[in-house]
Amino acid sequence: MKRSTRKAIPLLTLATIIAILFLLPLIWMVFTSFKTLSESMASSSILPQVWTLENYTGIFSSVTEAPIFRWLFNTTFITAIGTIIVVVVDILAAYALARLNVPGKKVILGMIFAALAVPGIVTLFPAFYMFKEVGLLDSYIPLIMPYTASTMGVFLVYNFLLSFPKDLEEAAYLDGASQWQILYHVIFPAIKPVAMTLAVITFLAIYNDYLWPSLVTNSNEMKTITLGIATLIQGSNFVNPAKMMASTVIATIPAVVIFLLANKHIVKSVTNTGIK
Amino acid sequence: MYKGASYKIWSVLMVSPFVIFFLLFWALPLGLGIWISFHNWNVSAGNLGFVGLDNYKMILTSGTIYNNLFITGLKNTLYFVVISVPPLVLIALGLALIIDNLPDKFKTIYRTIFFISYSISVTAVSAIFLWLFNNNGGFVNNVLMSLGMKDAVNWLGEQPYAWLTILIATVWWTIGFNMMLFINALNEVDSSLYEAADLDGAGAWAKFRYVTYPQIKNVGFFIVIMTVIASFNLYGQTRLITNGGPEQSTNSLIMNIQTSVFGMNQLGIGSAMALLMGIIMTVILGFQYWLNYRKKD
Repeated sequence: MKRSTRKAIPLLTLATIIAILFLLPLIWMVFTSFKTLSESMASSSILPQVWTLENYTGIFSSVTEAPIFRWLFNTTFITAIGTIIVVVVDILAAYALARLNVPGKKVILGMIFAALAVPGIVTLFPAFYMFKEVGLLDSYIPLIMPYTASTMGVFLVYNFLLSFPKDLEEAAYLDGASQWQILYHVIFPAIKPVAMTLAVITFLAIYNDYLWPSLVTNSNEMKTITLGIATLIQGSNFVNPAKMMASTVIATIPAVVIFLLANKHIVKSVTNTGIK
Repeated sequence: MYKGASYKIWSVLMVSPFVIFFLLFWALPLGLGIWISFHNWNVSAGNLGFVGLDNYKMILTSGTIYNNLFITGLKNTLYFVVISVPPLVLIALGLALIIDNLPDKFKTIYRTIFFISYSISVTAVSAIFLWLFNNNGGFVNNVLMSLGMKDAVNWLGEQPYAWLTILIATVWWTIGFNMMLFINALNEVDSSLYEAADLDGAGAWAKFRYVTYPQIKNVGFFIVIMTVIASFNLYGQTRLITNGGPEQSTNSLIMNIQTSVFGMNQLGIGSAMALLMGIIMTVILGFQYWLNYRKKD
C-alpha cells in the first residue's frame, strides 16, 4: 500500500526531527573531537569555532600510556578469530543435531535450551576464577574462547535447518555424494544468510563487550578498544572531552562501518532471533 | 538416509567441538559457581572451607554489609527496570509505527538512522553522554546556560537527574533494536485487514487497537521479556556515567556483586549473590510468561 509523499509530509517532518535527535550525540561527538580543549568545555555550539587536529595528534603521541592502536588490533584479532570459531563450530553442531542422529541428541538440545534461560551473570565470576587458576588471565584465550559456549548460534542454525527442506541433500546422497560433499555443496550455500546473521551478531557481541574483558585483562597492552575507552573515561581523558571524543570516534568507526555494510543482515538477524 | 556407523562417527565429530566448549566455558563455570557459593572462598587465597548455606544466610540477613550491597543493588536495578522498560518498549513501538507509515522509499534511511546507535559499545555511549551531561563543562548545561538558565543542572550528581541521564543514554543506545523487532512484526500484519477496516470507516486508533495490536501482541510480549533481561543487566552505563552515584543510588546489582568479589575478596558470597540474581530474574520472567499464558485461556 503506497501512500503519496505529499500526504506523508507531517509524518516525514516528525521522523526527520526524531532522526536529528538520534544523530545529534554522534554529530556532537565528531565535531567536539575537532575542538580545542577550552572550547570543548565552554562551547554551546555544535560546530567548532576553531578547528584543530590536536586531539588526534595527541592520541598518536600518547600511545605509550593509551595504546589505542594496539587496542584496535586486539579487538580486530579477537573478534575475527572468535567469530570464525563460533560460526564454524555452531554450524557443524546444528547440522549434526538437525540432520544426523547424534547419540545423546535430546540431552544436548535440552542443555542448549536450559542455557538460553540462565542469565549470563551466573557464570561470569566463576569463569573468571577458572581462567585465573589456570594462569590464563591477560591472554587472548579468555578474550576469545568463552564466546564459543554461546548456545544462541546453534539454536539459530538448528531452527533454520529444521524449516529447510531435505530434498536437495537426499538427491545428492542418492547421487553418491559423500558427507563432506553434501555439507560443502548443499548445506553451506543454503545456510549462508543465517551464517552471516550469526557472524554479525557474534562480531558485535565480542566487539562491544565490556564487563568480561575488564575482568580477564590486567595490562594495558591486552585491552580491547571497548575496554580501553572505559579506561580513558576513568583515567587520562577524565577532564578532556575533546580528546575523549577523538578516542571515541576512532573506537566507534569500525563498528559503525561494519554495521552499515552488514545492515541488511542485521535486519534479518533481528527477525530471526531477537536476541540481544 | 543418514544411517549407519559412519554417519554416527561423523555426527559425533561435528557436534563435539561445540559440546566441549559448552561444557568447558558454560557448564563448568556454572557448576563451579554453585560449588563456590557454599564455601568461604577468596579470590586470592582460594577455598577456606565449606560453610553450607552461610553465604546465602548472610546475604539475606538484614544488617550485614553483604545484605546491604545485595538489597541496595537489587532495589536500584529493579527501579531501573521499572523506569526503563515502558519507554524502551512504547517509544520503540511509536518509532516502528512511524517507519511503517512512511512512503517506502524513505523507510530504509530512517530505519537505519534510528538503529545506528545500537552498533556502538556501552563504553562509547557512556563517553558521549558523560560529556553531554557533565555538570561542569557538559554540552547540555552549556546550551541551557546560554539560553538564560542561571544555575547548571547537576545532571550526574543529583537525583532524579542521574537516573534521567542513564535512562536517556540507554534509550538512545538500545531502542533501535526493539524498534526493528516491532517493524518486522508490523510487516507481517496482513494489509487486507487495514483495507477492510478502512471500508468500515475505522479511525487510526481503532485500526491500531483492533487490527494491529492483536497481531503484534506476541512479539510485544517477547520484546518486554528481552528488555526486562537487558535492563536487569544494567552495568556499563552506571559504572561509567555516574559510577554508582550520587550516594550509591545508581549502584546496580552487578556492580555490587563485583564489589563483593573484587573489593571484598569474597568470591563465595559474590557467587551466591549472582545465583540469587539469576533465580530472581528467572522467577520474574516465569511470572511474566505465566501472566501472558493465563490471559490466553
